Amino acid sequence: MIRALLLAAVLVVMFAAPAAAHNVTAGADLRIAQTIAGAEVTLVIKGTSRVPGPLRIGVVAFERAAGLPVSLEVRSLTGGRTVKGVARAAADPEYAELRVEETGPHQLTLRAGDEVAVVPFRVLVDRGSAGDFLIYGGLFAAGLLLVGGLLTGAVSRRGPAMMLAAGAAAGVTVAAMVVVFEPMLPPGPPDGAAPTAQTQPAGGRPFAQARMETAPAGPAPGQEFTLRVDLTDGSTGRPVDDLVSHHEALAHVVVTSEDGRYFRHVHPLRTAAGRLEVRLRADRPGRYLVYAELEREDSGGQLLTGEFAVDGDPAGAATADLPAAVPELRPAVPVAGRPATIELPADGAVRPWLGMAGHLIVRSQDGSFLGHVHEMGTNGTRLRFTFSFPRPGRYLAWAQHATDGRIVTMPFTVDVAEPAG
Amino acid sequence: MKRLIALAALLVAAAALFVAGRTSGAEPLTLTIAGSRYTVTVLIDPPRTGAIVVDTRVTSGDADGMALSAVMPDMGHAMPELAAAEREPGRFVAEGELFTMSGVWDVSIRLTGPAGEETLTAKALISG
Repeated sequence: MIRALLLAAVLVVMFAAPAAAHNVTAGADLRIAQTIAGAEVTLVIKGTSRVPGPLRIGVVAFERAAGLPVSLEVRSLTGGRTVKGVARAAADPEYAELRVEETGPHQLTLRAGDEVAVVPFRVLVDRGSAGDFLIYGGLFAAGLLLVGGLLTGAVSRRGPAMMLAAGAAAGVTVAAMVVVFEPMLPPGPPDGAAPTAQTQPAGGRPFAQARMETAPAGPAPGQEFTLRVDLTDGSTGRPVDDLVSHHEALAHVVVTSEDGRYFRHVHPLRTAAGRLEVRLRADRPGRYLVYAELEREDSGGQLLTGEFAVDGDPAGAATADLPAAVPELRPAVPVAGRPATIELPADGAVRPWLGMAGHLIVRSQDGSFLGHVHEMGTNGTRLRFTFSFPRPGRYLAWAQHATDGRIVTMPFTVDVAEPAG
Repeated sequence: MKRLIALAALLVAAAALFVAGRTSGAEPLTLTIAGSRYTVTVLIDPPRTGAIVVDTRVTSGDADGMALSAVMPDMGHAMPELAAAEREPGRFVAEGELFTMSGVWDVSIRLTGPAGEETLTAKALISG
């Protein structure tokens, strides 16, 4: 019996979680970081508890974004209705209210500067639970029958009175049973949810392949260009258009120059099915390495890589390198394959960004390895990361955190020793 | 007495219907997809594996050609495109095999017309 209950509980846990796609439900906001119009923002879509109902959309400013107007257009992909609004980016933004008429697939078109992003999402609304119906129905019936039983008993009709009292007891029993057992039953899917199969396929989706290019090709130093990432499903050849919000972004794109002097951690815009784009500018000619960290629906995270070249004479006013940070390492010389702790003071009050207090990007000097480590366990004035460097050698590292109005990036290098013996 | 039993039976039946109605899928499957150029309502009857008929009505936009295809994203299966014949203005019917196994499929409807080409996609739960 206990085994059966445990099995039931496990099944509930397995099937209760809705697909992790872009679902917007009351109480579960959809957060997607976007690098748009030269600014770093996080788009927040708050769920609605009813349709027709208000969908609240805000834009949280992180860097060069305060006051940036972002025009919003929500379109239902079933009804075709479109509603528009404007959100102004702020550290603590006011939310624009857009009225949605139905549940199901929608798309949000964002416009800022001359850039456009299209974010698909689903509006879900929880249905009243069947259990509630039985609980309240059972208690209501019990109440009616009890009153009936008392009245019948009062006029000395024992038989019917007993029947009514028995009915009341049955109602109470049903309600009580449901109260006890309902949490073990799988909940029905919310309105607007994507269909799901009874048996979950094992293993996740096929791999995605990325083609990375710049427009224009071979941009000049200092010239703004678009880095385009076209994603293709390795099994079907179709565009990959099922990215979920992975650490609050459709993709985390890290661009570094071969020598590591240039570093950007950006969040490209979805401009079409399977296409991500971000605008960049690089000051120096050379080879640039691109890493895109993303996650497909029902799958794990994956890292796709590419590169591009910047051609021409260095731009007149090349930006100065960021000052190198001096982290505290434990052990002082990290050993390959063993956990090392990297701690450094934060520059200003830490604001959570991308769901975490801090981020550490590490790249092997030759660019063949990239790690993205999350801050763990300090109180907001220091950042602490733990990471096992896979091989000995020199690593380039950039620690990042958000503070008021900007994102702080602190570069440094780590030399990793070979394990003794 | 009999009335009471009948009433109780009715209540139980209503509760059972209410619960069953929430869990069982509706057949046939109707999908409405609003694109930027065309809006279609697709009727898949029945939503099963094997040979099927897909009846599509273009409720907005002027389409003169349509083809259907399907992929099963979880498995990476892709099926060849099925050309749909225009039976009457705005109504296209395709016959053939679109789904090879039960599960969730992405159905793509590629429409052509004076306004240009557009591919609309929706998810469909297919039974065995």
